[in-house]
Amino acid sequence: MTPEKTPHWGLAIDTERCIGCHACSVACKVENSVYLGMFRTKVYYHDFHGKNAAGKVAPKRAFLPALCMQCEDAPCLKACPTESISRGPDGIVRIDVDSCDRSRDCIAACPYGAIHIDPVAQVADKCDFCSHRLDAGMQPACVEACPADVFAFGDLNDPGSAVSRFNAKHRKELAVLKPQEGTRPAVHYRGIGTVVPRAVENKLPKGRNHDPFTYEIDTWAELRADYGTVVGNAAAKPKGGK
Amino acid sequence: MERRGFLKSGLGALATLAVGETILLAPGDAAAAVAEPLNYATGADGKARKRHVDYRTATAVKSVCLNCSTVCGIEGFVEDGKVVKIRGNPLDPNLGSFMTCAKGQSGPTINTYPERLLYPLKRVGKRGEGLWKRITWDEAYDEIASRIRKSIAAGHPERVAIHQGRSRYEAEFARFLNAVGSPVLLNHRALCSANKRAANYVSLGETDWESIDAERCRYFLNFGANFYEAHQGGLHLVKRVIKARFDHGAKLVTFDVRMSNTAGRSDEWFQPHPGTEGAIALAMAHVILRENLHDRAFIEDFVQPGETQLRAWLKECTPAWAQAQSGVPAADIERIAIEFARARPAVAAFTNRGTGAHYNGFNNERAVVMLNALVGAVGRPGGYCYGLEEKLAPAKYPAPQPEPPKVTIRTDLEDPPEWPLANRWQKMKVAQVVYDYLEQGRAKLDVYLSYTIVSPMTWPEGRTTAARVLADETLIPFHACSDIVYSEMAHWADLILPDATYLERWGMDIRNNLELQHYVMLRQPMTAPPGEARSFPEVLFDVGRRLAPEQAKYFAFGTHEDFVRTQCSKLPVQGPDGRTFASGFDYMKHYGVHVDTSQPKAYEVYRRKLGAAQLEGTRVDAAGRILRMDKAGKERAVGMMVKGEPMRGFATPSRRFEILAPEVAEVATKAGMTDDGMPAFHHVPGLDKLADDRFVLTTFKWNVHTQGRTASQKYLSEIVHDNPMWMHPKVARRIGVKSGDMVELTTYRPRSGTQGDVAFKAAPAGRDEVVGRARIRVFVTDGIHPKVLAVSNSLGWQGGGRAAQGRAGARDAVLDASGQAATRKGLAPAPRVDDLTNGVWWDARNGGRGNGVNINAILPVNPAPLVGMQSWFDTVCSVRKV
Repeated sequence: MTPEKTPHWGLAIDTERCIGCHACSVACKVENSVYLGMFRTKVYYHDFHGKNAAGKVAPKRAFLPALCMQCEDAPCLKACPTESISRGPDGIVRIDVDSCDRSRDCIAACPYGAIHIDPVAQVADKCDFCSHRLDAGMQPACVEACPADVFAFGDLNDPGSAVSRFNAKHRKELAVLKPQEGTRPAVHYRGIGTVVPRAVENKLPKGRNHDPFTYEIDTWAELRADYGTVVGNAAAKPKGGK
Repeated sequence: MERRGFLKSGLGALATLAVGETILLAPGDAAAAVAEPLNYATGADGKARKRHVDYRTATAVKSVCLNCSTVCGIEGFVEDGKVVKIRGNPLDPNLGSFMTCAKGQSGPTINTYPERLLYPLKRVGKRGEGLWKRITWDEAYDEIASRIRKSIAAGHPERVAIHQGRSRYEAEFARFLNAVGSPVLLNHRALCSANKRAANYVSLGETDWESIDAERCRYFLNFGANFYEAHQGGLHLVKRVIKARFDHGAKLVTFDVRMSNTAGRSDEWFQPHPGTEGAIALAMAHVILRENLHDRAFIEDFVQPGETQLRAWLKECTPAWAQAQSGVPAADIERIAIEFARARPAVAAFTNRGTGAHYNGFNNERAVVMLNALVGAVGRPGGYCYGLEEKLAPAKYPAPQPEPPKVTIRTDLEDPPEWPLANRWQKMKVAQVVYDYLEQGRAKLDVYLSYTIVSPMTWPEGRTTAARVLADETLIPFHACSDIVYSEMAHWADLILPDATYLERWGMDIRNNLELQHYVMLRQPMTAPPGEARSFPEVLFDVGRRLAPEQAKYFAFGTHEDFVRTQCSKLPVQGPDGRTFASGFDYMKHYGVHVDTSQPKAYEVYRRKLGAAQLEGTRVDAAGRILRMDKAGKERAVGMMVKGEPMRGFATPSRRFEILAPEVAEVATKAGMTDDGMPAFHHVPGLDKLADDRFVLTTFKWNVHTQGRTASQKYLSEIVHDNPMWMHPKVARRIGVKSGDMVELTTYRPRSGTQGDVAFKAAPAGRDEVVGRARIRVFVTDGIHPKVLAVSNSLGWQGGGRAAQGRAGARDAVLDASGQAATRKGLAPAPRVDDLTNGVWWDARNGGRGNGVNINAILPVNPAPLVGMQSWFDTVCSVRKV
């Protein structure tokens, strides 16, 4: 494939349209055999107060689909001691499962909770935009399943792709999560700071995979990431250890 | 690497097997096991690696989802006999894309439940002891058939009953029960939406479910529907509402006592006092007429009563009055009414259970639907539309001949006389009283066949009244339960019949089409059921062939596939892309869906002119109705004159949209009730004068769960497994609790109203009668009305597998610990890779939140007057900290 013909995959998420249905995250679980308690993608709920259409402050709910940001300056890639993580010209950050030795440095480095150790294969596991589906000419499972056109995906080299058109239309409204981490996340969001309060990004954990306990309803209003829960044999090792 | 391996003694290491392949127990025992739940393969180095679906070689099969009643057309991908993936079928006009909800995605995991029932089991020991032995289908059939033969020979075919939860098998069950001669098909409709359906029938005449033309709609006035998460057709509706709102600027206003996802994402959300939506709708109607924002011509031509009578009737229903009833500010009621009416005709006012599941739900919902008529949005583009052909009419979908004659006898079980509108338009029945009626001797049963139902979980008083009757062999002498897992229903059976999942069975299916044309779908097996699991209609047909020749002859057609092939026989053989097929059946197997595009979209069907053929032999009466004598010599209204033109009108007795329904008044009067046929507002008895220490308990559904069949699905229960009680901060402060604290909830029996109605098992006058108590954790939120406490349903399972029970551990160890050791003989060997072993992170034993509470168990059986809808959301309750 000549360089200009290689797609450069991009994704933008429109939180205004999101209905919090979890079709994307369950599609991912089934598509990628993601273990219970662990996540390649997860939808966060946040209950808060904001202005309704009549200008009155009212209780509201927002949803934030979170997944691997395929960072342009991926900290997981830099942290991996066996150089098992690479970012391809197609824009996808991938883990080489044959050389991963489970050091967990990638997990410790990720600000977005995107990586976990798969207990069965005993290697690091994360979203790769369903590369196996892209190879078959299909969209990632989350994009395909969404009922509300939340995910704008496609080839950034193609101005007619859904993501290109979305980015062009909403250029001024796009933002990334946790820009202060400096990882240059490639996934862009519309509605951060408007539909979804900016602080909701603090629900995404740094240094560990998404905490399943954040599904519990009494955490919806909170803006923290870690409830200290531990899943199966995926117990987090002491910080800094291997 | 070997493609197939034989299992050596003891489970070998994962390295010896390739992923997804059926584990052969022994030579010849080919179909014994359930496919592995997860997809792993072993590499050359012996290490496990995730295996991904190869979409270029997987087999694609079209079918229909059945994880909820929305029944989306789907496409499944199959590898090595395992369904590995589901996506929507874009040919389903309600979908138009590959979308599904979370439940649709979860479907393949049902096929591979480690706790999946594979073999027929027969009870040993006492009913409810949980002791079973494995039997053959032959033995099961012999027992079922001999008992049915006995009932028929004794002249009591009506003692044979089928009780379905969600079957979609009207034609198949009719075949069986008509052959047997029994009218007793029991269902769950009155627990769901009987009032909503009745409200649509009374107003429109010919449909129970509207098809809002949502993508074109510009104002959604939602009373009590949670279509972001649930609602029959919810996924189809929400897809279009999102487009209407964010591509076209439409507004969504929701009335709900609780901040559902729909409410929490609406443009405005109001919290009415429970059961007062009817008052709000009447006040909105008052405002619309006062401001002259109504569609005068539509009301004059197509509505009864006329404008003058409506104005007089609504005179007292001011916004201030509605505020006094509901607590919603008068200024908002007024403003929203005006906004709604000004956006006409591309507007829709609609309801679901939040407004309907009340003593006064029928009138509440009629009052909301009426708003569409007032602004002329009925049947208009962007408005409150409805389709015409939404059932599997035998003329279009013929059943194999010979067909048994329809049964003419009746019993009080499926036709309770106390609710005269329950079966008026369709047989909605009053499901929640059947166990009480059996206990009261209102009917007798010999054979009770249950299917896709877990009444101890989903019925009010499920663990008391329902369970007590299920346990009683004098009331239910014989119970055969068809199910996928060992549910509480299976627990109370005498025979357990392992069912095929919805991805492994046949059937035609149909829904209302939001694109307003008739369409039909085919559900076909994506893979064969494992072990000896067998789809229940196949079971019924097999049993039918073992009855006496007078019954058996009606099952000569063969299998369920043969039955469905005949149903498809009149469908076209050429597809929309020009492909041709040998038969309608082959057409359906290929596309999964057929849309009848030969008819125009069902906009304003009431304006369709009647042609010469339709007018032949008709006469016009003084009211302008066009009447024709039917074959039985009775005059029937077939249309109406509108400004000199013969038009179809509505399929109501008057041929008008009926705000005034004289038939309701007649029926009510006969039942000893006061009712003038208008959707007047009356408070739910007792709810308008709640003491400070009394609240109203409401229940609700989640986007990842349905009432009875999703708790066993691990990816869904992972997201929602616990159902704490939603409590307003004011209330929490008063009783001294915070989120996470435990309270004891006490529920009370209903009271009779003021319209001559009598509550079922009513509380004695002046006293509270306790229905039940439960300990529940609290969730403090201002997303709930201060007088309401909310606990979701769907959770609190006993049995059903580790996901539903919220228990981690090896499968067999958990079965043993749960008193289900004897069911192990009905299962396959546990899978090699079983994430339920250590992945049930919500297990309370490991510090998780556990698996919730069965709230239905302490809700009273409470059918609303006339229609019999279960008044789920009227339950008066009290709480105290414990």
